[in-house]
Amino acid sequence: MTRTDNFLMVALRVAPHLVLFFVLIGLWEFSVHIGLITSIMVPQPSAIGAAIIRLYVTEGTIYSHFFITLTEAVVGFGIGASVAVSLAVASSLSEVFKRYVIPYAIVLNVTPGIALTPVIIAWFGYGMGSKMALAAILCFFPIFVNTLTGLVQIDEDREELFKSMGARPSQIFAKLRVPAALPLMFAGLKIGLTTALIGAVVAEFAQATAGVGVLMSRFSFQLDMASSIATLLSMTVIGLMLFYTMEFLDDRIVFWRRESRRAAASRARARTWINQAKK
Amino acid sequence: MAAVHSSQTLAGPADAGPARNIRNRRIAMHLGIFVTIILAWEFGSRAGWLDPLFYPRPSNIMSSFWLIYFENGNVWYHIGVTMSLVFAGFFGGSVLGIVLGSLVGLNGVLRQFLKPYVIVLEATPRIAVAPLVIAAFGFGSGSKIAIIVLVCFFAPFINTLSGVMNVNVEKLELFKSMGASKWQILQKLVLPDAIPVIMAGERLALTAALSGALVAEFIQRDQGIGSLILIYTRNLNMASAFACIFTLTLLGFLIFRGMEIIDRTIAFWKHEQGRSRMTAKRRKAMEGSL
Repeated sequence: MTRTDNFLMVALRVAPHLVLFFVLIGLWEFSVHIGLITSIMVPQPSAIGAAIIRLYVTEGTIYSHFFITLTEAVVGFGIGASVAVSLAVASSLSEVFKRYVIPYAIVLNVTPGIALTPVIIAWFGYGMGSKMALAAILCFFPIFVNTLTGLVQIDEDREELFKSMGARPSQIFAKLRVPAALPLMFAGLKIGLTTALIGAVVAEFAQATAGVGVLMSRFSFQLDMASSIATLLSMTVIGLMLFYTMEFLDDRIVFWRRESRRAAASRARARTWINQAKK
Repeated sequence: MAAVHSSQTLAGPADAGPARNIRNRRIAMHLGIFVTIILAWEFGSRAGWLDPLFYPRPSNIMSSFWLIYFENGNVWYHIGVTMSLVFAGFFGGSVLGIVLGSLVGLNGVLRQFLKPYVIVLEATPRIAVAPLVIAAFGFGSGSKIAIIVLVCFFAPFINTLSGVMNVNVEKLELFKSMGASKWQILQKLVLPDAIPVIMAGERLALTAALSGALVAEFIQRDQGIGSLILIYTRNLNMASAFACIFTLTLLGFLIFRGMEIIDRTIAFWKHEQGRSRMTAKRRKAMEGSL
């Protein structure tokens, strides 16, 4: 298939979506114009477009807030994920440790983490620290549970094979249990990343000086709905960025789950072996 | 996994005595660790290592419990307000999610056109619409319920969608070859098969509903347990704030338990006990009719 054919195929697939999108936007715009929808509650698409241009291009106010929220979510996620993964690894290695950690993890899960927002802000202040802390608390549980579940599910036959080949426990852990746990762990990390972003934004709603959440609640209370929706879209962008980064990592690290990645990885390995053999 | 396994084998009738001993010892250990943590906290605070203004002592939290539940009794009203919001919003959101999810799941064209919007919605932190909704609908219970509906709509929607789409092809073939109508296929095959997945979505939705209610109350600050936590924290009455948070832990626990029971009742065929109970019931009904 030539390149133009490919392009045509993509265009044909995308065209109906685009048509529908523009028809919907047109209808929306029109119904606000003739007064079916009040523009205070639901602004026109053109107003939202203008707000996007103002926020991103002419004034460029959003960028500093955007990166503050992104940093809060990512650092919070990093802290929460490392605590969750290390506790999960420790619990999978020691039955006793697991027995005494799990009740507290369950209590933490049953409590809506968002309820801690005011307390966390009182503890860590109005700055970025409190947002990171809330993000870390919110993303802890899904990562912990998924990693632990992945690590304790053991394929008996494979473990038998490893043992009969004389593998040490550390080798069984590193070469069998960790790879088997990775897919579930990544599923947990993806959920955790989304909840970390929620934590950062909610903490900003409650009390903050900068960030996308602050910007958004400020715009809403000024009844500047167009800018508020434009800011909401920037949260979507952060969410998409984080999600696809995780997806990319998942694809590279757990490469054996996808056919094409597996083939690429085995080709790369074959190449290094051939090079070594040549030397 | 391993823990469940060993406790099952230990609880067998052959060695019930030693098993009970081990269980009692474990419970004692759990209690011992818990009491040690609480005591360390209490004495750490009394010795001045933890500032009691920010990190309240367990004894103070206990007396706050007494205060807000019995002496002032003000927490009951707020619990009632929050829980009625949670259930109203959860009900609306899950009905909406299940109906739309099955519509979209059964209609390929609709699904194809909605997919990009679903991806965008999935990436947006949905709680973030809270200030927008409040600005649009004004202060009051209406906007709170709208926020909860929006927050907990998504999980049932996605789970219903995937549950409805994952129909067992062979069963579907059987139904069709027996001449089942579309409605019969939906009612007797697709929905029952999807129910475990839908229930998993409902559980997520209920948790989300509680979080949504709290965020709405944080922003509005009028009534409900979220506002109570916020006000107590602002007054640096951290012991009472923690008493409220532990109240939420308790409520969350009750909600989880409740969902489990509902899950067992609705998707009874997934659990051995429920299945045998249901067969016995049906057999009795059939005998009666004979």
